[in-house]
Amino acid sequence: MIDSLVTETADRALRAVATFDAVQSAEERRWSPEIWDAVASIGLPWISVPEGAGGVGGTISEAVAVLVVAGRHAAPIPLAETGLLAGWLASSAGLSVVEGPMTVVPGRGDDDLRIVDGRLSGTAHRVPWAASAEQIVALVDGHVVVVSPSAGVITEASNLAGEPRDSVTFEAAPIVNMVPAPDGVDADALRFRGALSRAALMAGALGAMTELTVEYTSQRRQFGKPIGSFQAVQALIVKCAEEAALVDLAVQVAAREADRGEARFEIASAKLLADEAARVATRAAHQAHGAMGMTQEYTLHHLSRRLWSWRAEFGDAVWPQRVGDAAVELGADRLYRAIAEGSASGIAL
Amino acid sequence: MAIQFVATELTDDERALQQEVRAFCESHLEDGSFEPGLGMMVARSKELSLELGRRGWLGMALPTEYGGGDRSVVERLVVVEELLRRGAHLEQHWTADRQSGPVINRFGTEEQKRRFLPPICRGELCFCIGMSEPDSGSDLASVKTRATKVDGGWTLSGTKIWTSNAHIADYMIVLCRTGESDDAHKGLSQFILDMHSEGVTVNPITFLDGTAEFAEVVFDDVFIPEDLLLGEEGDGWHQCTSELSFERAGPERWISPFLLVELFLREYGSSLNPEARSFLGSSVSRWWGIRQVSLSVARMIDEGLAPSVQSAIGKDLGTEFEQTVVAGLQQLVDLEPSLSSDRLFHRLLARAILISPSWTIRGGTNEILRGIIRKGLA
Ligand SMILES: Cc1cc2nc3c(=O)[nH]c(=O)nc-3n(C[C@H](O)[C@H](O)[C@H](O)COP(=O)(O)OP(=O)(O)OC[C@H]3O[C@@H](n4cnc5c(N)ncnc54)[C@H](O)[C@@H]3O)c2cc1C
Repeated sequence: MIDSLVTETADRALRAVATFDAVQSAEERRWSPEIWDAVASIGLPWISVPEGAGGVGGTISEAVAVLVVAGRHAAPIPLAETGLLAGWLASSAGLSVVEGPMTVVPGRGDDDLRIVDGRLSGTAHRVPWAASAEQIVALVDGHVVVVSPSAGVITEASNLAGEPRDSVTFEAAPIVNMVPAPDGVDADALRFRGALSRAALMAGALGAMTELTVEYTSQRRQFGKPIGSFQAVQALIVKCAEEAALVDLAVQVAAREADRGEARFEIASAKLLADEAARVATRAAHQAHGAMGMTQEYTLHHLSRRLWSWRAEFGDAVWPQRVGDAAVELGADRLYRAIAEGSASGIAL
Repeated sequence: MAIQFVATELTDDERALQQEVRAFCESHLEDGSFEPGLGMMVARSKELSLELGRRGWLGMALPTEYGGGDRSVVERLVVVEELLRRGAHLEQHWTADRQSGPVINRFGTEEQKRRFLPPICRGELCFCIGMSEPDSGSDLASVKTRATKVDGGWTLSGTKIWTSNAHIADYMIVLCRTGESDDAHKGLSQFILDMHSEGVTVNPITFLDGTAEFAEVVFDDVFIPEDLLLGEEGDGWHQCTSELSFERAGPERWISPFLLVELFLREYGSSLNPEARSFLGSSVSRWWGIRQVSLSVARMIDEGLAPSVQSAIGKDLGTEFEQTVVAGLQQLVDLEPSLSSDRLFHRLLARAILISPSWTIRGGTNEILRGIIRKGLA
């Protein structure tokens, strides 16, 4: 069970600072110290990072529950990166986290980071909030490597929601720390963690999008009545609500299993369902909003542009393929057990 | 507020039950020993129903004093899930176990419970549901079949339609009008009708796949004894809507084409191309997610909650998904489906194509369910 105190505290903090204007201006400024400070001051970014490594302890489920809240508020901060991703990499290698925001190199096919003579060279792409992070953590040649962003040259780039996803190029840059990655800490494990974090944020955004759509369609009137009284519009709202509820539940189960150990199937499934929801539910929500949803002056885009971005981050098309390959491997006789028991069935992604 | 589900999982005892049912299925439902069906569209076997009754797997959530198991909705889910995914021939007891038993237990008199529940739990009785009429489908409250008070009971006149299993059923729980009221929802009552009563005519209606899935049932001054009024006179609307409102999200609403996918994998296995593998992956993951929804709803019912909106979501998501699976398979296999093929996968696919449209219709159409869900979101 998740302590609802944690999520309520997170919700209260973000409700106060992640206002429409704050989220909007974070996009222009590429950073929002106000929002970051509000969540950092109560320790939220470091949930699930052990206290011994400078974190605040807690489970993956708790960290995920907070990410769901962050997704609801479209919070433009590296919350997932600092704790579940960079914090995990660092602490599992015996390193401590720093006080400020941290980020992670997602590890794309076009990255070419390498260590030469104890120094880091090459380019990492799509690094979230690289310019604002205190430290960047990367997996390079089987090592957990910590560097300072100022040691590299940052080329600004963004995802569709205007969240920084920068490229960082290093040339024989000094390394803050470098430790061989322990067993189970590798690029693939990072990808699963990243997928879980995105699915969690998406669950929150989908929930908020549903509520926004319910609210808008009960206020907007056409033909003398609220548009939400038309069945065709109601069907759009329901589609959105169903997908949101499904993804939220899948994320809860995936996080629960991740706390216990093997959860690759659950995480892949949660991300796959979130990706599908990003397609179906955002379409429905936008349709129900008409032109109002197409302007940056109204809240919907804070959610829908994030959903489209997060869908593509840490893999989208890859998940159905991986689950499918694993299902073929598992075989027809045990196929149902994957559905009923998840990872415990032995389905191996 | 958005609707949310709370994650749950099987307890150790529930897992042990699951193992027990799996072992039973391995030994009693061997491949080739019966023609499997899809979800609720399955064959009938009195022997299987009696055997399940002997094992305590019917009327599971009914009180032990009436032959039930005093077990939970989750435990029932565990049992029916294993049977349904194999397309087992459950037709004989399905409606009685799922719907009629619970409604008699909830609203019936002591005498009715003693009379009907034990044989239902033994798998001896086949029930059918008399709700829909030629002019009353989604607008169920407009039913016209009427029971009029006579000496010692009632006489029933009217016509029911689309009644599944009417031709084999021993009893029908029939919804009809017993009073006059401007409010269509008032003046309705439910009766337990003996299908062998004089004046009951069952006219089979051929289903799309050629089977005798449902029928028209005509009542021509059928006498129903006083003691077979179910629940309160005039309370029929409330009784019959509560009948299904929570249990809509059961496995029969999402598991129907599973066997088809299992056979598909068995037949094509490692030769599947990336497109087929992605389809398989998406399907397995969505199945897993929807099953979590179903389990969450069952747990809520066991906890005494009334998850009617969550149930409706489960059914809408589940049945739409079932249809997506059938359509997806059709796209992946290059064959002309035939009901008389000598290969089970081909026969079942043919059947699925023919019957899958009904999945989003029966038990309340998905359009009607979405109305319920929308109200729950307000
Ligand atoms: C295989 C099968 C088995 C069945 N078994 C039984 C049984 O055993 N006993 C029994 O009583 N009935 C049974 N039914 C009947 C079933 O309950 C009805 O088909 C169902 O309630 C819909 O009614 P209808 O078919 O008259 O469709 P209609 O109500 O005429 O609906 C037709 C279409 O109009 C839409 N529609 C209607 N009203 C609205 C509205 N207000 N808003 C939006 N859309 C609307 C519907 O969603 C649907 O798409 C069975 C049906 C099938 C297919």
